[in-house]
Amino acid sequence: MALFRRPVRPLDDGTYAIELGEAERGLVRSTVDQLADLLHQTDSPALRRLFPPPYGDDVERNDGWAALAMPELIESRLASLALVTESIEETVLDEDGLDAWMRSINDVRLVLGTVLDIDDDEAPIEVDESNAATYQAYEILGMLLETIVIARSERL
Amino acid sequence: MSSPSPIDVAEPDLGDLVDLDSPWIVLVWNDPINLMSYVTFVLQKLFGYSKAEAEVLMLQVHHDGKAAVSSGPRSEAERDVFRLHEHGLWATMQQD
Repeated sequence: MALFRRPVRPLDDGTYAIELGEAERGLVRSTVDQLADLLHQTDSPALRRLFPPPYGDDVERNDGWAALAMPELIESRLASLALVTESIEETVLDEDGLDAWMRSINDVRLVLGTVLDIDDDEAPIEVDESNAATYQAYEILGMLLETIVIARSERL
Repeated sequence: MSSPSPIDVAEPDLGDLVDLDSPWIVLVWNDPINLMSYVTFVLQKLFGYSKAEAEVLMLQVHHDGKAAVSSGPRSEAERDVFRLHEHGLWATMQQD
């Protein structure tokens, strides 16, 4: 019988094994690169889910927050994305590396989900020729993220 | 024994004090994109909740649409919101 090996799992020395095919690594690389490009145009509506206004209807406070926190949030996201790009071929990641992968893949999913107009837990997503590739990327990255979260949660 | 002689003390403006002291609560809102496992992990990592506590909050977000995950002075609430936004969770803050 074959033994199923999880693609991401904790190793005894505190690091994590990353066993992914070239197609999956290529998907992570290209979507992460695209998000880094997109983050340089902060007014893109696809990014709105990454920067929610924290003060409800209080426009003045939300504007103040955007001016102060947005640049820092963008910088933090770009740093994680850069770490993923640097380590995209690695078969072992340390905890900081894996956390960067986790946050970045989650950010990519938030943007893909926004583009796919996913706004209801229950409503099925309508997939057609125009969005099939985006939807497939969203699903594959969701499965990858789930296995990363499970591996990382073992070390909390 | 002696007792202190009465002195004039300026009345503090209680309105201001109440305003300053009233805690802010940080809310996490439901969204259909974030994975349930990821939301649970982030709540554990950022706030030190046990897995069971974090799952209760995550399910509250999922079923009720939102859950309060922390409370405190405005500066602490802002820091928590920032860290939640850094992790992609949809967080807001309001005064209790």
